[in-house]
Amino acid sequence: MVRRIVRSRVADHPAADDLVQETLLRVLGAMGRVEPGMLEPYAIVTARHVIASMWKDQDRHRRNQHRMADLRLPDAPDADLLLGEDRAAVAQALQHLSDRERDTLLAHELHGQDTRSLADELGSTAGAVAAQLNRTRARLRVEYLLAVERTEPFSDRCRPVLIALSSGDRRRQRDVDAGRHLLECELCARLSQPLLGRGQQHDDEVRIPIRADADVVLARQGVRELAARAGFSPTDLTIIATAVSEISRNIVRFATAGEIVVELLEEPRPGVRIVARDTGPGIPDVEQALTDGFSTYRGLGLGLPGARRLMDEFAVVSEVDRGTTVTMTKWRQEGSP
Amino acid sequence: MNTGPALVSILRQGSYLIASIHTALDDSQLMRLQKDLVDQIGRHRSRGVIIDVAALDVLDSFGSRTLRDIAEMARLRGALTVIVGIQPDVAFAMVSLGMGTGSVHAALDLEEGLEYLDRQVRARQPGSSVVVPR
Ligand SMILES: [Zn+2]
Repeated sequence: MVRRIVRSRVADHPAADDLVQETLLRVLGAMGRVEPGMLEPYAIVTARHVIASMWKDQDRHRRNQHRMADLRLPDAPDADLLLGEDRAAVAQALQHLSDRERDTLLAHELHGQDTRSLADELGSTAGAVAAQLNRTRARLRVEYLLAVERTEPFSDRCRPVLIALSSGDRRRQRDVDAGRHLLECELCARLSQPLLGRGQQHDDEVRIPIRADADVVLARQGVRELAARAGFSPTDLTIIATAVSEISRNIVRFATAGEIVVELLEEPRPGVRIVARDTGPGIPDVEQALTDGFSTYRGLGLGLPGARRLMDEFAVVSEVDRGTTVTMTKWRQEGSP
Repeated sequence: MNTGPALVSILRQGSYLIASIHTALDDSQLMRLQKDLVDQIGRHRSRGVIIDVAALDVLDSFGSRTLRDIAEMARLRGALTVIVGIQPDVAFAMVSLGMGTGSVHAALDLEEGLEYLDRQVRARQPGSSVVVPR
């Protein structure tokens, strides 16, 4: 029915599906982004509807309760936009939360109860409740996506990685080595797209997948643009881009997949950190690769000695048959703007 | 022909070839340039080659090595190569990296590159395939 409403506006079927999907993600996204009381009315209506129908499905004998549908605003024809399967996915995702997590989330998002009053009820602090709500939303998004995909995580590492991505917690992402997992796990790589696409991409970080020669140029351009914003001199920008070129080539030549992640640093002083990781064969002897005569050397680890010369800090972690991670940092020269 | 703007143009001027790189190139594009230049040197019996790299964003180990290889292949086919337009920042990074264009001659710009070729090629026997020692 709703699909028909959407489709009547968008002639073709896939576009309609995209719209429905996008609407749902927008609702879930808004749950993580918007302050209490500022949720778009649309999102509230949609969420209420989800809860109402869930209630109806789960508790059929409590007939009067399903009049929660009355909560729907009369002037919101799109309230039905969530399709049956999406509703089921949200319901399934909610099942993965503990009772306390679910109750707190619903009290906050649906009934507008603020974190302070929730904290009073729970014998906690407003800050702790807010943090818990963020974790709950992060988990909800992950569980929703797993439910939509009708899949279980491929390994024990999947959930922690996806939740770290969903919460946008970069320290946690590093702790669970999320970047490497995304290279290795096809499921998480796919699920990370909507998680990263919902406005959590930090504007002080860029991520460039490296698969082919052309990506090396994109990586050079990407790092140059970001580092320019940190106030690096044109000379340093070229030096950094050259180092990125060297290590990206290593990925293209020897690994099936890899990426360059560039991050601006503030502490202890302005700088740029570049992480290059791949799922290549790994370098059996990193020391050797770093000391070999690099102008003629064309084997595994090619480009490492050159890149090390150009950067201030340089570290290689490599595991045979698993891949290599190069982390390198350039600090902005004192006296630069 | 390629669709889209040309990445590199190779123009013939008398017995010289002038290759102008218009944008950042990746490795396969650099290899393509190498092949095209060596082909054209043979076809036109060129005596000199100028490669204008001013638009290159970086000259890393691969880029530097490719320029050296081009110069060496050109030399074996009787042509001299000059690299022009290496930007100061690029030059600095090349030195920091520990790379250079080695024995390949570099000149500031196209004009100086042409002057260099004129001087060197005039010193050769016309029509001779003997390579002038550096
Ligand atoms: Zn996974």
